[in-house]
Amino acid sequence: MHIPDGYLDLWVAALCAVLAVGTLAFAARRADGELTDARAPVLGIVAAGLFAAQMLNWPIPGGTSAHFVGGAFAAILLGPHLGALCVATVVTVQALVFGDGGLVVLGANVLNMAVVEVYVGYGIYRLLAGRNQFAAAFAAGWLGITAGALAAALQLGVSEAFAYELLATVSIMGVGHLVLGLIEGGITAVVYRYVADARPDLFPTTPDLEVSA
Amino acid sequence: MSAVGDAWHSRWARRGLLAVAALVAASPLFAWAARRVGYAEPLENAAEQTGATAHEVTYNAGLLPDYTVPGLDPFVGTLLSGVVGTALTLVVVLAMARLLAE
Repeated sequence: MHIPDGYLDLWVAALCAVLAVGTLAFAARRADGELTDARAPVLGIVAAGLFAAQMLNWPIPGGTSAHFVGGAFAAILLGPHLGALCVATVVTVQALVFGDGGLVVLGANVLNMAVVEVYVGYGIYRLLAGRNQFAAAFAAGWLGITAGALAAALQLGVSEAFAYELLATVSIMGVGHLVLGLIEGGITAVVYRYVADARPDLFPTTPDLEVSA
Repeated sequence: MSAVGDAWHSRWARRGLLAVAALVAASPLFAWAARRVGYAEPLENAAEQTGATAHEVTYNAGLLPDYTVPGLDPFVGTLLSGVVGTALTLVVVLAMARLLAE
């Protein structure tokens, strides 16, 4: 889902960058004070784990492939604001050191994976967690990555390089990630269950939701 | 020992780091398997269908382009890229955490 340079019109890239920077600044302010010394290693290990997991492309016979992004998982485990900062760091390292995703469109990639996927995924988790936390984590991973892909499809579909074929970009990326996202949801739910069983205290406390899995 | 030191020496932190190391160790295998099936993401499929691939430009290939090390076997390069990337991400995020905690 990493958009390379040349695919987005400049105004689209600029708008995405403004939205991404604005949201991350908000996240940094909200996260200020959330992070205790004891939780700092959780943040580091999650970020390093997301980077490593994103290197694993699942080959699917037929020529399609995708990788775990982990935005919803980061949001559930760290809270949405630290989750957004964590995924933004991963996406930025990927672009600057490995050329995975363009420089001019870095804001768009951060917006799609670190903002849309993280906050949509977290919202879905919070909406459903009162009924079934495992299913909520699955839906968060599945629909979070689909929302991120739809955001990317929208940006691409209003750009000249894609001949303004919005319907094509939305259908190919939306349907593609809706199917591939089932794997993202499955991994999110299984890892969530493992961590929740082993160390429920690692999750952020919320006023109306206790994590006990 | 400080709270940070305690946390890093805890059992879950060691397990977490081991899990990250296992993911990195598996990366060459996944890279090989993805190449075997002609790997393409939905974004690339959309670009091909609309003719956008001709517009792709590279302003920054990165020090380790596409998770490889120039001149090295691609699978060794993938492994080294995984080590460098996870270590760098860890350092940057911990620096950010320190700033946020101040």
